[in-house]
Parts: sequence; structure tokens; C-alpha cells
Amino acid sequence: MDTFTHIMNGFVVATEPMNLWYTFLGVLMGTIIGVLPGIGPSAGIALLIPITYGMNPTSALIMMAGIYYGAKYGGSTTAILIRTPGEAASVMTSIDGYEMAKNGRAGAALAVSAIGSFIAGTIGVIGLTLFAVPLTSMALKFGPAEYFMLMLFAMTAVSTLTGDSPAKGVIATILGLMIATIGIDLQSGQARFTMGVPEFLDGVGFVVVVVGLFAMAEVLRGLEDIYRGSSAKAMRITGKLWLTREEWKRSIGPIWRGGIIGFVIGVLPGAGGTIAAIMSYTTEKRLSKHPEEFGKGAIEGVAGPESANNSDTAGALVPLLTLGIPGGGATAVLLGAFIMYGIQPGPLLFQTKPDLVWGLVNSMYIGNVMLVILNLPLIGLFVRLLYIPQGILYPLIVAISAIGAYAINGSTMDLWLILAFGVVGYVFDKTGIPVAPLVLSLVLGGMMEQSFRQAMTISSGDLKIFYGSTITVVLLVMSVISVLLPFVIPMLRKLGSKGDES
Amino acid sequence: MVDRIIFVCTVLLAAVYLWATSKIPTLALGDPLGPKAFPQMLGVGLLIGAGMLLAEIIRAGRNKSGNTEKAAPLRFEKHDAVVLAVIIGTAVYVFAFERLGYLISTAIYLLVMTHFFNRGRWLMNVLTSVLFAVISYLAFAKLLGVNLARGILPF
Repeated sequence: MDTFTHIMNGFVVATEPMNLWYTFLGVLMGTIIGVLPGIGPSAGIALLIPITYGMNPTSALIMMAGIYYGAKYGGSTTAILIRTPGEAASVMTSIDGYEMAKNGRAGAALAVSAIGSFIAGTIGVIGLTLFAVPLTSMALKFGPAEYFMLMLFAMTAVSTLTGDSPAKGVIATILGLMIATIGIDLQSGQARFTMGVPEFLDGVGFVVVVVGLFAMAEVLRGLEDIYRGSSAKAMRITGKLWLTREEWKRSIGPIWRGGIIGFVIGVLPGAGGTIAAIMSYTTEKRLSKHPEEFGKGAIEGVAGPESANNSDTAGALVPLLTLGIPGGGATAVLLGAFIMYGIQPGPLLFQTKPDLVWGLVNSMYIGNVMLVILNLPLIGLFVRLLYIPQGILYPLIVAISAIGAYAINGSTMDLWLILAFGVVGYVFDKTGIPVAPLVLSLVLGGMMEQSFRQAMTISSGDLKIFYGSTITVVLLVMSVISVLLPFVIPMLRKLGSKGDES
Repeated sequence: MVDRIIFVCTVLLAAVYLWATSKIPTLALGDPLGPKAFPQMLGVGLLIGAGMLLAEIIRAGRNKSGNTEKAAPLRFEKHDAVVLAVIIGTAVYVFAFERLGYLISTAIYLLVMTHFFNRGRWLMNVLTSVLFAVISYLAFAKLLGVNLARGILPF
């Protein structure tokens, strides 16, 4: 069958009543998770893995993807009404969005982020559809050495581009790889680093690490903020939930540009939604005829970044689905979910399970329509979530995490690990060590070691295999560039600012 | 100051990891690299990361030139005590999880936590704690068949 037939079949799969229901559940949970500060899509997806165990994989993955892109919609609501991003990538929205809310235009800000998210999200899914096929045919030529170099590129990009300190990113990446080596080595059958704990023979469960680092750590941070009295209050929605003609005219450009910027950034590893939003914001400010309005409630400053962080999610699915290699923290968690269901994303999946792949991709068109309905006419319902006292919310997150973690093995060991990784995540946050690189390398660690050893077996121990083909050389050069970028960008900026002054 | 502590911890961790790697027994069976090679690379990689951090510390110190950096003293403040108390409280919850069972331990944990962090609204706190524990237990353990610790309760 040709690709076109597969794509059309995907629509059939996506519109099956069962899958429509799971799309709805996913985007609903995504919106809730996005609105609630404290629990993000990564922890949400990780918690669902044990609970959905045994479900039809297509439906389960459709639901989890729904959480992933749905959270971006919900995140803007919190950013606009309480100036705290409900989801990390909405940081930029909290600047002008909150100012708009203060000026009585909260309705317009919420409307433009929902519409922008919808348009850009759909642009992103179209991009995903178009890019997937050529990329998979390229990826089919990948051997273990190419895969190793690709993972190396993803990791270097993520470790040097997230956070302020490349050194800390590298440390976090290596720590994740080290955690991945715990357990029985698949090739030699040898137990490694188990410290005599029988539960560690199977390795450290990835769900508990993610839930600990993302949910438990956030609980500790949140409760600390409550004690300090620094948690914010929500504003009421003011103004009609729609745009004036003038606002619409000002927003349409930023939405398109944001959609394209977000998709491109999303495909590349490392950068992610937050950087896409920042890039869109600075682009709009530069293009604007009245840049002085930015920071004081410019609608472009909401439309652009919100669109960018939504098409970013679709872009980020491109490398995950076509190559099987995620480029960031949240997609790494999604890969973990795929693997839990015994499904290895990558070029072969497009041949062996086209229904699953295209059912998933096409469910995103439908999910985006559902999201715009949930986040415009029904926004009032979700805003109520913001009035839940956080002192109740955070303890509940701990209990929900406990249910999810205990369900995996029925062992309190996993609960101890969540607490331990919660403390680690809290300390990382306070000391500026990024968490996303650790999660990415934890998920990829096993595959990375396997492909390294397979490549070395093929070449009988000759390292040349890692720079022997065009693809490996290109990936090597890209890795080196991503390592050098954090050092080069400040220099370029210095040069640029000197140029401005003269 | 914090970065220096991270540096020391990273080096120590790398040392422990490399030592543990050397303890892995190897049987040469067709696999030319064996189970040790990759971990050895990671140990060295962590040392490189520590080296990069050291370079960043030195550069930051030089940029500030002079003693403007007062090396913010690490003080244990009241909000740190709160975080520590939450950690201990959650540890007690985990400890009680199988012993008392999900239902009882969760209800007690929620009651105690909401009492401290949602002060004064005791009716709301009691209702949410008890209802959440009961409903989640019924939904997950009974309806969905998720494995949750029964503990001392007969059901």
C-alpha cells in the first residue's frame, strides 16, 4: 500500500468511536494538567503508563499524545490569569497575557491563545505529515553507528541548550546514562550497579524517575511557596472571549510566523517549546511597528509565542516517530510510554504498524479541534481549577503519584524512589541543574549502549565506524556545533550590540 | 559556593562509579567490549562534565573580579525546614503505605498535609482527604483492578 492510503486509513482509525473518546480524554486531561500549576505533561503521561497498562496501544498512545499537546493550551490560561506559566513553555505568554488581563482584555488574550494554538497546532500536524515520509526513508539506511551518533547529537543539543550552564547539562545527561546502566546488562547477562538490591536487577523504573523529578519535586517547591506566602491569586476573566477586528488583524501574522518557527524548533533536538516561544516573541517585537507596547499588553506577544509552543509539540513528534529518537524531556517520556507498550517508534513502525502511526498523527487534527472548543467556550470550567487551594492540590498529587507508582510492581520500593528522585529534582532546581537532559538520556541510555556495542562489533573494535559514512560525519559536525553554540552565541550577541551602538 | 559543592559531589560520584565499574566481573563471550566499556566512558564523561563546571566557576570568579561575590552563605532557613518536614512526612506515608494500607495511610497523610498547608478550612480538608482516599481506592483498586495495598483493612 502506498503512503496516501496509509494516511487515509489513519483517519479511519482516528475516527473510531473508541479512539475519539480517548483523544477527548487525553486533551481534556492535558488541558487540566496544563491549567494546574504543579503537574506537567511529563509527569501526567508517566503516571498514566501503569494505569493504562493492558489497554489497546493505539488508544493509549493517542490519549498520551493528547495530554502532551493539550497541556500547551491549558498552560496559557494560567499564564494569563495568574502570571505563572501553568506549563514551562508559556513563560512568554505570562508577560503580555497578564498585562492584557490587567487592562481588562483577559477574554481577548485567552481567545487569541486558543485560536493561535489551534491554527499553529494544525500547521504543525500538517508539517509532521509531510516530513514524516521522507525522513523515514532516510532513517531506514541507519545502522547502529548512525543511531549512536544521532543519540549523541540529541543529547549534546539537549544538554547544552537547556538551562544556563552547559556543564550542568552535561552532568545531568551523564547521570541519566548512569542510571540507565543499573540492572542486568542485556548482552552479557551481567548485573551492574545493583548495590545488592534485587528490585534493581530490572533497572530503575523510568516512570518513578519521571514522576519523582517532575511531580514530587514540584510538590516540594509548591508547598515551600505556600509557606512563604508567594503563591499567586487568579484574576477573573474580563471582556468578551473573542477578538476585535483590530486585534485579529494584529494577531494573524504572529500566529503564522509562530507556527512555522515553532515547528522548525520542535524538529530540532534540544531547543523545545520554551525557546520556540522566546524566539517568536523576539521576532514579533522586532517586526512590530510599536515595539514599546511589548511587555505592556501587546496582543502579538501572546499570539506569537502561544502559537509557537503549540506547533513545537507536533514538530517534536517528527524525530520521535520517524527516527525513534526524542529531542527533549516530554517526548522522551512519550518514547518511554511507547516502549512500555512494546512498540519501538522509528522508520520500521511506519511499515509494520501504519495504522498506529497515522491513527496517532491524524488524531491530532481532531484533538486540536476538541481543544479549541474546550479552551474557548468551556474555558470558564477550567478556570475554576485555579481556585482549588494549592495546599490541597499538592498533597493530592503525592497520593496520585503513589497510586500510579505502586500499580507498576506493587512494591513500596518504587514509592521510596519517587521520594528520593523528588528530593533530587528539588535540589537540581535550586542549584540550576536541568532535569530534561537526565530524563532524555535515561530513556535513551540502554539503546545508546546497545548501538554502540553493536557498531563496535561490526567494525571489530574500530572507532572509525563513527565517522565512516556521510550521515555519521554530518551528525558529528552537528553535535560539535551544538556543543559550541552556547559559547558562540554570547560572542555574536556582543558583536551585534556593538554594531547597534555605532 | 553551590557550584563548588556540585563540583565536589560530581567528582566523588564519578570516582565511586568508576570503582563500581571495575568490580563488574567480565566473561569474554563474543562481545568485544563487554559490560564494562560503556560505563567506563560514562565515568570519564562525568569527570569531563566536572571539569567543564570547574572552568565555569573559574570564569565566573574572574568576571566578577574582586570580592564582590560574597559567596552567599548557605544558611538553613525556616522554609528549608518546611521542605524537610514535607519530605519526612512523605517518608512516613511511604513507610505506612503497605503496613496500614492505601486507604488509611492516604487519608491520614492528606489530613495532616492539608491541615498545615490549607490552614483554617478544616471541614474542606477533612472532606477532601477522606473522600479522595475512599473514591480513589474504590475506583482504582475495585473498579480498574489496579494493585493497591490493602493493609490492615479486610476489604
